[in-house]
Amino acid sequence: MTDATNPAAPVERPSLLVPDARTAKRNAAEARFRAYGLSAIIISLLALVVLLFTIFAGGAGAFRQTFLHVPVTLDAAQLDKKGNGDIEDIKKVMTLTYGKLLDQSVQDLIAKQGITIEGLTDKDVANLVSKEASAQLRNMVLADPSVIGQTVDARVLVNGRVDGYFKGRVTMESAARDSNTSPAQLQLAETLKDKGLLAKEWNWAFLTNPDASDQRPEAAGVGVAILGSLYMMLVVLFLAVPIGVAAAIYLEEFAPKNRLTDIIEVNISNLAAVPSIVFGILGLAAFINFAHLPQSAPIVGGLVLVLMTLPRIIIPARAALKAVPPSIRDAALGVGASKMQSVFHHVLPLATPGILTGVILGLAQALGETAPLLLIGMVAFVKNFPSAPPAGLFDPASALPVQVYNWTQRADPAFMERASGAIIVLLVFLLCMNLFAVFLRRKFERRW
Amino acid sequence: MNDMRILERAVSQTDIKISARKVQVYYGEKHALKDVDVDIQDKTVTAFIGPSGCGKSTFLRCLNRMNDTIDSCRVEGRIALDGEDIYDKRVDPVQLRARVGMVFQKPNPFPKSIYDNVAYGPRIHGLARNRTELDEIVEKSLRGAALWNEVKDRLAEPGTGLSGGQQQRLCIARAVATQPEVLLMDEPCSALDPIATSQVEDLIDQLRSEFSVVIVTHSMQQAARVSQKTAFFHLGNLVEFGNTDDIFTRPHDPRTESYISGRIG
Repeated sequence: MTDATNPAAPVERPSLLVPDARTAKRNAAEARFRAYGLSAIIISLLALVVLLFTIFAGGAGAFRQTFLHVPVTLDAAQLDKKGNGDIEDIKKVMTLTYGKLLDQSVQDLIAKQGITIEGLTDKDVANLVSKEASAQLRNMVLADPSVIGQTVDARVLVNGRVDGYFKGRVTMESAARDSNTSPAQLQLAETLKDKGLLAKEWNWAFLTNPDASDQRPEAAGVGVAILGSLYMMLVVLFLAVPIGVAAAIYLEEFAPKNRLTDIIEVNISNLAAVPSIVFGILGLAAFINFAHLPQSAPIVGGLVLVLMTLPRIIIPARAALKAVPPSIRDAALGVGASKMQSVFHHVLPLATPGILTGVILGLAQALGETAPLLLIGMVAFVKNFPSAPPAGLFDPASALPVQVYNWTQRADPAFMERASGAIIVLLVFLLCMNLFAVFLRRKFERRW
Repeated sequence: MNDMRILERAVSQTDIKISARKVQVYYGEKHALKDVDVDIQDKTVTAFIGPSGCGKSTFLRCLNRMNDTIDSCRVEGRIALDGEDIYDKRVDPVQLRARVGMVFQKPNPFPKSIYDNVAYGPRIHGLARNRTELDEIVEKSLRGAALWNEVKDRLAEPGTGLSGGQQQRLCIARAVATQPEVLLMDEPCSALDPIATSQVEDLIDQLRSEFSVVIVTHSMQQAARVSQKTAFFHLGNLVEFGNTDDIFTRPHDPRTESYISGRIG
């Protein structure tokens, strides 16, 4: 044969201490890949940090608000003209009267403290407190009419511009150009702050107040939005979860595998990818135009979110059911369990953590959804709280993400702070839901 | 074959429990089992042997209609339990499986406590009227599966925490607890070590006194040790069926002889 190798020649064995060319190349490729992965993680972490920092830096202010402490003499002659203490008569006194009373109290306070500021007009003094303050005062009196005639130490909201001054949003220079405030007003506020009468304090009202008009950003809160979002989540929880889980169980365990179920499966996957605004249009057409449900109501928003969430619950629930080992089904059938018994006694408990995770992530997604709600009128300005469910489901309400969108559209920069604050609230809710999902998964997985 | 300890136990019972005639099984287009005729006697251990893919497990799963769960599977022919066709339209497979229990190749206890594993069958079939009766059934079944002494102090612990051999005996106890008439075992020892295997084999021999056992096995030694009747399957055909001693000592068919002497399979 033509075998040319010389058996006598010694074979050159490379040293193990020196990597050969191929190994070096492979190692280099692996090192490069690791570097890519690491840099991808670092970039995404940086982006997340920047995002969170921006939101918290902008939104933390919404939770701290400037308040003025002013002694107000609640003159019985003006507030309770008949003097009989009848709540109905007291209710007839308008906010305007309280406003005048408050103006006078602030004037008195300035005089008493001996504050003199050059160029300070009566309008500046009157505008120091928020337009909402007189309404706050009125509510206080209506809640407890016995204070009439006394001098109370009222804690009232300060105008948004002055509040902005203490938060660094408004400067003396910008105030000079601003018709809503003046440098003299800011000086007054500064002096009052030095005397301890005006301070930034924790602002629960941001979480409990409804939205406020363009003129009074300092009074705006996410109360109605939280309630609206909560109502919609209730609708989703009570409709989407049972329907979605039942559909998943039927499709995965009982439905025959044929062309029809294939088509259904493809359609469910497609629905999960449909842009959410399309569901909004569907909701507008089906629930409002056809079924004549009220606009801006949580029931309609909830129903739209149900449609949107269904595929997002069905798909992970089916995956969780599919992941249960078939040997468990065999075991159950082998001892004579019926199909339904094998599913409900053995398969479902094992799939529960996966199903729950899918459900909660679906709910979290629904909580943050904005686009479909814009189309069904949830973006409206809602000042009144919806009543308790189930009737409250038909009252107008807002929703957290929609409230964020709404506030970013307003002219006053004070609303930007409110929007960021609302985002913080939304993120806290989402974080809680995700933590709950993790908790449930751990709890059920550790059982055996 | 000197190491084989062939049980020279006389087959006293001759009642036929299950009779299969002209059974054909198709997986889609594939003809997996052709013309199988087998009679399974009461209180007897019947072993199905043969090389991988010969159809012995398929046939076993026909006997309690576990193949119903496979969509593409089609069974033809007649399989009768006590003279009643189990593939009749009126037969509910759930009822059938309560009478024909099954133990699987891989131990598959439920992820529940040892007690609940055994009590599950009696519970769903309503075999116990109260807790005391259920306790009795559980104890009897665990004793029957030679597991009672090992687990009596930890019945509330998960069945999945037992060793492989214990898990398999737990599965046997679970199958026994429903008081079946026939027990099907699909390679019950293939995932077990030799000691656990011999325990399960002793157990099979004891179980024979109460009902008939059908066992599928890869190991010819095991078939010879535990069974009184042996069926040899090859490529979807039942090649030979008869008394275990005859099959192993005087096989009629050359294929059987080749297989048991290790030339094919």
